[in-house]
Amino acid sequence: MSELSLFLGCVAPNRYPGIEAATKKTFSKLAIELDDLLGASCCPAPGVFRSFDEETWLTLASRNIALSEKLDDDVLTICNGCYSTLKEAGDTLKKDPKLKETVNRNLIEIGHEFKGNHDVRHVIEYLYQDIGIERIKEMISKPLDLKVAVHYGCHLIRPLKEDGSELVNGNISFFDELVQATGATSVDYEDKMLCCGAGGGARTAILEATLKMTEKKLHNMADAQVDCIVNACPFCHLQFDSGQQDVNSRFRKNYSIPVLHYTQLLGLAMGYSADELGIGMNTTSTADLIKKIKD
Amino acid sequence: MPSNIEKCYQCGQCTSVCPMGEQEQTYKIRKFLQMEKLGIENEESIMTPFIFYCTTCYRCQDNCPQGVNIVDGVLEIRANAVHEGKMLDAHKKVAQMLMDYGHAVPNNTAGREKRLQLGLAEMPSTAQGSDDHLDEIRTLLHLTGFDRLIADEMPDMKVNEGLTLTKAGFDQPIAEESA
Repeated sequence: MSELSLFLGCVAPNRYPGIEAATKKTFSKLAIELDDLLGASCCPAPGVFRSFDEETWLTLASRNIALSEKLDDDVLTICNGCYSTLKEAGDTLKKDPKLKETVNRNLIEIGHEFKGNHDVRHVIEYLYQDIGIERIKEMISKPLDLKVAVHYGCHLIRPLKEDGSELVNGNISFFDELVQATGATSVDYEDKMLCCGAGGGARTAILEATLKMTEKKLHNMADAQVDCIVNACPFCHLQFDSGQQDVNSRFRKNYSIPVLHYTQLLGLAMGYSADELGIGMNTTSTADLIKKIKD
Repeated sequence: MPSNIEKCYQCGQCTSVCPMGEQEQTYKIRKFLQMEKLGIENEESIMTPFIFYCTTCYRCQDNCPQGVNIVDGVLEIRANAVHEGKMLDAHKKVAQMLMDYGHAVPNNTAGREKRLQLGLAEMPSTAQGSDDHLDEIRTLLHLTGFDRLIADEMPDMKVNEGLTLTKAGFDQPIAEESA
């Protein structure tokens, strides 16, 4: 019986469906069933909707969690923004009975209730904590000889800090370890924890300024001569992939660093083809990376 | 979490580590916190649109010697601005996407084609593909007043976006009339 429902969010299913496909394939290989979360909405996005109206943000987030609770599942997110919203909204409501009552007064009108009896997980910390590096290594049939720039993303780290997780005490390495488990090498680069630039509604409001942050990050990754960027968030993915071409055209640069979500990297190492994982569907070319993996 | 910006003693550590402040000199988080603390934000605001430049990366908060929940403070300042009718036009469009499709980034033709190529259903199992679920979301957005928050801003957006945005310009928020 499944214990997890897959929360898709917006960017993964609608812009980078390869991430959805890769998640489903890798979890199938790990023999972990994922329930579909029928009718789930935008999480809603933490930087934008949370800053417009907190009650709206909490109410829509709690509806998404309530859908998962009805299936007796924890929520599995594949996006840092969704993780931030659902984890933080859920934890806030669990701690604040009055707020929970306010939210449930709205939810009951549409036949739902937020109970607060399930948790919200991010695919990266779930794989690390519940599956474990050793089990993942056992599932690798095609070890990858790649140099990788790991990008954690701000909203993977923040909810873990709020939760007091030991994963973010001192030197943070859980994502790097998962990348290394595929045979790839996580290469250190300058200012590794810097934001991709996209979050908080900034990409929508002031694309040019966010691209300057992205350019700084791409510059540091290129200096480390990596084969690809590996992220944990479709929105960071969008900023690095599509944004990379914007950086090139606006700032007269010539970056060409392929961008993968971790589930796509894991899928490759489990023997799935780049086509099955949608890796060729990016804006920034992944042809050289695919060729290197085949060689 | 409620913000605690009264604890700020204006050391400027936040601004010095802010990656957006590094790129955009007008985005000065230390200054905005002080303005908010002193309550000197007014109609001639210099905080909007700049307060919306924050990417919520939390670097300022992680480096604050006073333990100020700076990002929560930013979110509060933003929420106040939005409720005074100062939502950015670009954000209004995203808000309207949520009302129309249940998603900030809805599916499109290219997305559908990619999904089919990958052997996925043309539409994901999310709210966008289901009228019943969209009704639920719109009901919630009505109950929380979000539809009115948006409608106050742009009553005719779908009819004539250009005209509305000119009429309901940034400096003359319609919300003021109803306040």
